Amino acid sequence: MFVTDIRKEFYDVVVNQRVALFVSPDIDALCACKVLQALFHCDQVQYTLVPVAGWQDLGTAFMEHKEQYQYFVLINCGANVDLLETLQPEEDSVFFICDTHRPVDVVNVYNDTQIKLLIKQDDDLGVPSYDDIFRDDEEDEEGDGDDSGNESDGSAEPSGKRRRYDEDALERRIERQRARREWEARRREILFDYEQYEFHGTSAALVMFELAWVMSKDTKDMLWWSVIGVTDQWVHDKIPHMKYVTDIATLQRHVSRHNHRNEDEENSLSIDCMRITFEYDLRLVLYQHWSLYESICNSCYTSCSFKLWSINGQKKLQEFLADMGLPLKQVRQKFNSMDMSIKENLREVIEESANKFSMKDIRVQTFAVNFGFKNRFLASDVVHAAAALLENVEKDEMPTDNFIKALDCLSRSNLERLHLGIDLAKKKLKAIQQTVASCICTNLILSQGPFLYCHLLEGTPDVKLFSKPLALTLLCKYLLKFSCVCVFCFIRSFFGRAFEKAAESTSSRTLHDHFDTSVIELKMEDRGKFLDALITLLS
Amino acid sequence: MPTENLSDKRMSKFKNKGKEPTKMRDRRIAECVELRKAHKVEGIMKRRNISSVGDEEPLSPEYNTDNKQVFVISEAIQEIVANVNNECPEKQRQGCQAARKLLSRERNPPLKEIVEAGLLTRFVEFLGRNDDPTLQFEAAWSLTNVASGTSWHTQQVVEHGAVPAFIALLASPMLNISEQAVWALGNIAGDGPSYRDALIDCGVIPALLARLTPDAPVGYLRNLTWTLSNLCRNKNPFPRFSAVQQMLPSIIQLLHHSDKSILSDACWAISYLTDGPNERIDVVIKTGVLPRLVELLGFEELAVVTPALRSIGNIVSGSDLQTQAAIDAGVLSALPLLMRHPKSSVQKEAAWAVSNIAAGPCQQIQQLITCGLLAPLVDLLRNGDFKTQREAVWAVTNYTSGGTVDQVVHLVKCGALEAILNLLQAKDAKTVLVILDAINNIFLAAEKLGEVDKLCLLVEEVGGLDRIEFLQNHENNAVYRAAQALIEKYFSEDGDDQCLTTEATDSNFVFGASDVQKRFDF
Repeated sequence: MFVTDIRKEFYDVVVNQRVALFVSPDIDALCACKVLQALFHCDQVQYTLVPVAGWQDLGTAFMEHKEQYQYFVLINCGANVDLLETLQPEEDSVFFICDTHRPVDVVNVYNDTQIKLLIKQDDDLGVPSYDDIFRDDEEDEEGDGDDSGNESDGSAEPSGKRRRYDEDALERRIERQRARREWEARRREILFDYEQYEFHGTSAALVMFELAWVMSKDTKDMLWWSVIGVTDQWVHDKIPHMKYVTDIATLQRHVSRHNHRNEDEENSLSIDCMRITFEYDLRLVLYQHWSLYESICNSCYTSCSFKLWSINGQKKLQEFLADMGLPLKQVRQKFNSMDMSIKENLREVIEESANKFSMKDIRVQTFAVNFGFKNRFLASDVVHAAAALLENVEKDEMPTDNFIKALDCLSRSNLERLHLGIDLAKKKLKAIQQTVASCICTNLILSQGPFLYCHLLEGTPDVKLFSKPLALTLLCKYLLKFSCVCVFCFIRSFFGRAFEKAAESTSSRTLHDHFDTSVIELKMEDRGKFLDALITLLS
Repeated sequence: MPTENLSDKRMSKFKNKGKEPTKMRDRRIAECVELRKAHKVEGIMKRRNISSVGDEEPLSPEYNTDNKQVFVISEAIQEIVANVNNECPEKQRQGCQAARKLLSRERNPPLKEIVEAGLLTRFVEFLGRNDDPTLQFEAAWSLTNVASGTSWHTQQVVEHGAVPAFIALLASPMLNISEQAVWALGNIAGDGPSYRDALIDCGVIPALLARLTPDAPVGYLRNLTWTLSNLCRNKNPFPRFSAVQQMLPSIIQLLHHSDKSILSDACWAISYLTDGPNERIDVVIKTGVLPRLVELLGFEELAVVTPALRSIGNIVSGSDLQTQAAIDAGVLSALPLLMRHPKSSVQKEAAWAVSNIAAGPCQQIQQLITCGLLAPLVDLLRNGDFKTQREAVWAVTNYTSGGTVDQVVHLVKCGALEAILNLLQAKDAKTVLVILDAINNIFLAAEKLGEVDKLCLLVEEVGGLDRIEFLQNHENNAVYRAAQALIEKYFSEDGDDQCLTTEATDSNFVFGASDVQKRFDF
């Protein structure tokens, strides 16, 4: 069921309990987790944090903790399957699910006792009404062959005795069966429509922040985390732009409230102060921690507009730089070391030239944070850094270690780690850029009718990097933009269901372990038949 | 030797070799009982299916709870009682019709309540009211439905004297009333052998047969056929010969009707009549029905094929002569199709029939080969469901024990050996024993040809030896002894000494046994 009063129905319930906290490996989940951890610390709630990478992990984690815990909090996992069916818990286990995955499984929605959904009701949920999909079935157990003598299949010995029915009764029964069949057909249709597309709802971090806010326990740190959570959804194309703008507006109100509060205390200039600002900034990744040139080359928006993989594109880039009137030397050196005079109105300069090069959307509403005087970070840059740490493949570290590191880099006391993450993110973005360029130059992107298909050959550099869902998502986003296709279909994706169907019909060996059902693992040998099935299914 | 004991036991299961035909039938009887039991449970389940929604007024809130429903019904019954006992014919008709409607609703008809309200006496009385056909009809229908309940319900109807009244009604000029009487009598006959025979004693058969005219409507004939089939049904005791003789010509006649439902019930009647000792089968064969039965095997409707095949299966489980009569009627050309029927229940019955033909003399086995039944048989061994495979295994064992050496060799060449070796993994110990028997038979044939080594090689090649060896761990004593005996006899290291003195094999055996006890006894 959906929780309407999150404080009463969730927080007040768990505050005196021990809680198991299962968190999915994505940045929004990490941020929600940070908010919740901060609240738990405040109230000295005992909890155990378990990162869960997929359904198998979740199952194992539950098995390990079900004896000691009654209350489970699931962040960004669990909403889109029938959780009770999946985990088979005891009747007293209670699950609080704060998950952006949509559609929410209908059984989860209508279970009143064990499933509590911490999901904002104003999201466009479109859950089918109870009566349309459930029905008290005791009256309908009748088999169709019976003692009236006309067994449907005819292989059974006739009955020794037969009762004569009323003609009306027979008609009524036929009518009832017909009505039931109609109802079932309608139910299938409704469920199909409901489950067909998957997408994401309001950021888990934002939901958690609003919990803190209604309890008047919100802090600037929490607010920053929820900013990162929402930004993550935008960076990884989980929500459409409109949704981003709406949520950003909500956040902005909180930001001004907090800033106002701080000014009163006259500590806005202290060395360890934290200041969040809402501003228009550029769609250039990590440019404040890189050189402007590298950033332009590795940002999706610019590199795609220029078509940088071609000679023509390189030329255009040069023209663009010339148009801005910035010396190449300045552009290529570290942003921090650029001339102050250039930096002063840099944003305006870039914007002006970008407009001429038909990049009208280079400006975007976002947030930045200042820690003391020196450190300034854009929310999207933090997302990239944390994602790079989370999916670090450089050393063979345990996924749990990566999880903890990514979680740590979000604390303001851990800026070193954040900088490490930024370095990793740069490598990752470069790798994506190179992969995309090579895919395009070698024609690896194939149009399969209803969808585009790209197969990274084993042995491609950085192929290991893309074995992780976030990096893969980002790669796909770049690929799609490069191929000049609207990204929208990714936000409401039908691939999840289609993948399932295709795998089922071809009995391909697949692993649907990710919480995002549009990411699956598939045996190499089954690729051919799987794709064939997918093409037929989607055309 | 343990194998010999075992084979004795098996022999007794074959219709001829063991000279104990009743044992063979055991399997069929047990199966029938099982079937019938399943039916009964189903019936009980249906009755237990309590619903809170009344059929008559589905929207009335009064039906919402069981208590209220009971209350409403008892009220309705009180009204019926008042009406039925009223002198006014109009009221009587009203009451009787209300009762009929209650008894005809789909869920929870108040059979018991109607009986306990003492209404049956009046209803039986109404059956005799030739002046009021509507009343007769409503009463007949009500009693039919009461008799369709449990044995207790049927007993109530009979004890209120309904049987003579219904038999009299058969002659009613009103077809719907006569038909209802046919139906009611069918329910009473279907209760079991004692009421069946009571009906026969009351002369139900001539009365029924009198209504069997060419111009009777199909619906009427369907009911009539079903009631006749119920009069042939059930054993302990069987219906007496004279009754069967009386009915058979009409049943054969119905067997040539074009209506599928009539055909189905007529076939079932034949299957009941053939499901007995050889004398019973003889009576049926003598009517010359076999060619028609074989023809019906080729029908598409499962409802016809199933009882026809059942009848044929019963007949070929009879004497060699009876089996031969079925073969002469062309059964063997119909069976391959049925063995490849999409329904596994049909495959199973067909395999059962084949297993009984294979238990005949080698001339009949030869006909199995000639008519091409071995290929589908091996297919069933490989791909049938387990029950079918079990019947097919029996066919192989019967075949190998009665067939000539050449015939056995032919069977092995068709792939039967490999198929049964694969089935040694079956969980069912009895089936495994039957297979081991077949293997033993095949080895005996190989011995006669002096090709034991070749056969050993073949068994080993297809992985059979591993399976047989594995069976020495079987928890079932008989299985492990049979497997062990096979290994000792044909697969022990000094297999060359095969034809040495019995002493040698004996000592070998003793050694083996002690060895086994050390390792496997639990």
